Amino acid sequence: MPPAVELDRVSKSFRVRRPRRPGVGARVRDLLRPRTEAVTAIDRLSFSIAPGERVAFIGPNGAGKSTTLKVLAGILHPDAGEVRVLGLVPSHERRRLAFQIGTVFGQRSQLWYQLPPRDTFELLGRVYDIDRLEHRRRLDALTSVFEIGALVDTPVRQLSLGERMRCELVASLLHAPRLLFLDEPTIGLDVSAKAAIRELLRTGSEREGVTLLLTSHDTGDMERVCTRVIVIHHGRLLWDGAIADLRRGYLKTKRITLWTEAERLDLALPGVRVLSSGSYRTEIEIALEITPLGQVVDAAVRQAAIRDMVIEDAPLDEVIRTLYASAEPRQVTS
Amino acid sequence: MTGSNRLAFARALVATNLKAALALRGAFVLQVAFMALNNFTFFVFWWVLMRRVTTLRGWRLADVQLLFGLVAVSIGATVTVAGGVRHLGRLIEEGDLDTLLTQPRSVLVYALGMRSQPSGLGDLLSGLIFIAASGEVAWSALPLLLVALLASAVVFLACGIAFFSLSFWLGNVETLARQLWEFLITFSLYPEPLFGGVLRFVLFTVLPAGFVAYLPVRVVQAPSVPLVGLLVLGASAYLGFAVLMFERGLRRYASGSRFSTFG
Amino acid sequence: MAKYAAFSRVAVARAGRERGDLYGRVAFFAVILGVFSSLWRAAAEAGLCVAIEPRALVWYLAVTEWIVLSAPQVHLDIQEAIRAGDVVYRLGRPVSYVGAEVAAAFGVLAVRLPLLGLTACVCAFAFTGWIPPARAFAMAVPFGLVAAALLAALHVWIGLLAFWLHDVSPVYWVCQKLMFVLGGLMLPLAIYPGVIQRIAGYTPFPALLAGPASFMLANGGATPAALARDLAIWCGVTAVGLGWTFRRAATELTINGG
Repeated sequence: MPPAVELDRVSKSFRVRRPRRPGVGARVRDLLRPRTEAVTAIDRLSFSIAPGERVAFIGPNGAGKSTTLKVLAGILHPDAGEVRVLGLVPSHERRRLAFQIGTVFGQRSQLWYQLPPRDTFELLGRVYDIDRLEHRRRLDALTSVFEIGALVDTPVRQLSLGERMRCELVASLLHAPRLLFLDEPTIGLDVSAKAAIRELLRTGSEREGVTLLLTSHDTGDMERVCTRVIVIHHGRLLWDGAIADLRRGYLKTKRITLWTEAERLDLALPGVRVLSSGSYRTEIEIALEITPLGQVVDAAVRQAAIRDMVIEDAPLDEVIRTLYASAEPRQVTS
Repeated sequence: MTGSNRLAFARALVATNLKAALALRGAFVLQVAFMALNNFTFFVFWWVLMRRVTTLRGWRLADVQLLFGLVAVSIGATVTVAGGVRHLGRLIEEGDLDTLLTQPRSVLVYALGMRSQPSGLGDLLSGLIFIAASGEVAWSALPLLLVALLASAVVFLACGIAFFSLSFWLGNVETLARQLWEFLITFSLYPEPLFGGVLRFVLFTVLPAGFVAYLPVRVVQAPSVPLVGLLVLGASAYLGFAVLMFERGLRRYASGSRFSTFG
Repeated sequence: MAKYAAFSRVAVARAGRERGDLYGRVAFFAVILGVFSSLWRAAAEAGLCVAIEPRALVWYLAVTEWIVLSAPQVHLDIQEAIRAGDVVYRLGRPVSYVGAEVAAAFGVLAVRLPLLGLTACVCAFAFTGWIPPARAFAMAVPFGLVAAALLAALHVWIGLLAFWLHDVSPVYWVCQKLMFVLGGLMLPLAIYPGVIQRIAGYTPFPALLAGPASFMLANGGATPAALARDLAIWCGVTAVGLGWTFRRAATELTINGG
């Protein structure tokens, strides 16, 4: 099956106006001959996504995430390289593509604020040329899956953020898109709402075979919804692979929390960093390449009896932070 | 995409738009009432003046009423149906066109039909009253009046699109565009004979109060084939130009050259 | 006093920075004077009251618009502050809230009045080729300044209504339109039918606009003494009204818990 998304050495740069200097003369000169510099937003980016995959697309602010997403959606035209989404070239076939993709922006709403979601759903039916009967059927199905039956006739301004988000998802899925772009879908939501949305996304995608491309700063989104992660920084691909591999492969560290009979532990071993120690609880981080796990545990046991122990991989946030730090800065030319 | 689908979409868009405007019932009624009040108050000036002078360079009170009414209906129709035009600049500036670009419809139509200004209905209603009160329009002249109104509204809308589309190239033009928009309205509300020379040239080209107000009034009062033809042609030309300008700007938007930040 | 001056200074700085808005006002002023100079000439041709010259009418309009365009729409700021709840914090400070708002409004006036005054003179002269006698300025300018201050204070009063009304814009609009008509914005009151003139007499509007502007007319409508008296009365009414309204509002707040 052809890939859902295909990027081949795609580049995009923007002309940014260099900040003005004070003074009338400089300002006039700026108007006549603006001094600009070209900033590379994405640089020869290549990856492909198979249909049905759920991919997290992450990177720090200014990494080029939104730019990439916009290129894929046909909002921006790339300067170089080839893009194919669902077999179509976004910049040339925007409208055809639009029928098959859906978007959810965490910070921008598709729903009309003053009206109940039902009215937006109606309008979207006309926007996407959905057959009346099909529209009714689909709406009923989505309403029960996303449990928005009680919300559909309440004005959007009266809905909580979590409720609104569920309606947004319904709105984006109404026309049965094959690919869904999500930009910060759980931003601002409380813990239970986040969990609900993530669950819905995962099962929804599995059930309907919808390809998901999700950008988020929340690693929870990444871990609970997606199977694969693409890391981008300074416009370049940093990492592309399964999430489990990311954690295991990149940072070869483990974190151990020990509850012991001794108030503190003294573990001065190479490759061992004590994060906290006291009140009968010690937290340490082990660089596995330097000291094997077993050796550290042995050393601890020799010092005091162990009541409880938790061994974890390094938190994903840290893994990613390390990744970001290793990237080269982006190109800037005048 | 067939023509009937486009119409269905446009109809649905307008309907949703009006529904949203009506959603806040109280504010809606107030805005309608106050725009109507605004227009009547403004007209008091003319009523007082015309009691003293009877005619002003050939214009009687009835002529001013017709002018007022026509322009009010034109403005009212535009901001009710295509109220998004006044927010076009902000949409462009804040990147809100993105959401529209991901949907399979004309970005311009969607952007225009996204908002509605309730005050527009106040303009519409008061405008119709003015036209009726002027006594200048016989029932037989109704189709002509409709043509004049449609042309006037089209030119007005086209100007709005053009002024606010400057944002594609110049960034934040909110104040400038709004200023030009308001000048257009101001000049449209005063009788044509007041303006001469260079100003009249400007008013029939760059700031086309001539096509929004003066020509439509002439068409209603003294119709002739060339006059109607000129009006219709003019309206089409302005609309064509405005749409072209928007599309060009949109291409620029999509090439990202107006971005000053990226993410 | 110094505390209030500080509020004014902040307002001055802000108004100076909002240059787009200022240029907009200047441009609009120029256009409106141009349109009206044309209109009054046409009216004169048509035989409007011989006693009033068209060029004097243009200067008349220059003064009324000078006052109207300079007055800041503080009612919107106050409404915002009340809606956002900021007001509660302001009440705690050792400064009269109303005093502070009025001082801020005066700050804006301090920026707009000179600039728009200059615009008025330049444009009116450009369109009429005539400058009124010095006496006209000597009367119009001081009275105009007082009128502008009073108008700003009235805007603050309207803003205070936001404690009770969800949206004070309609009140502002109605008052503004009434002011345009009853205050003789575009036409000296003398031209209006007697009935309207009598009604206007019971409102502050003639004192706000027509009064100061009438000095530009050859046989100006108001005498300085009468206008001074009217302005003083309305200033007094406004001051008392502001205080009373705010005290009521503050009690509302404390009763309802903000």
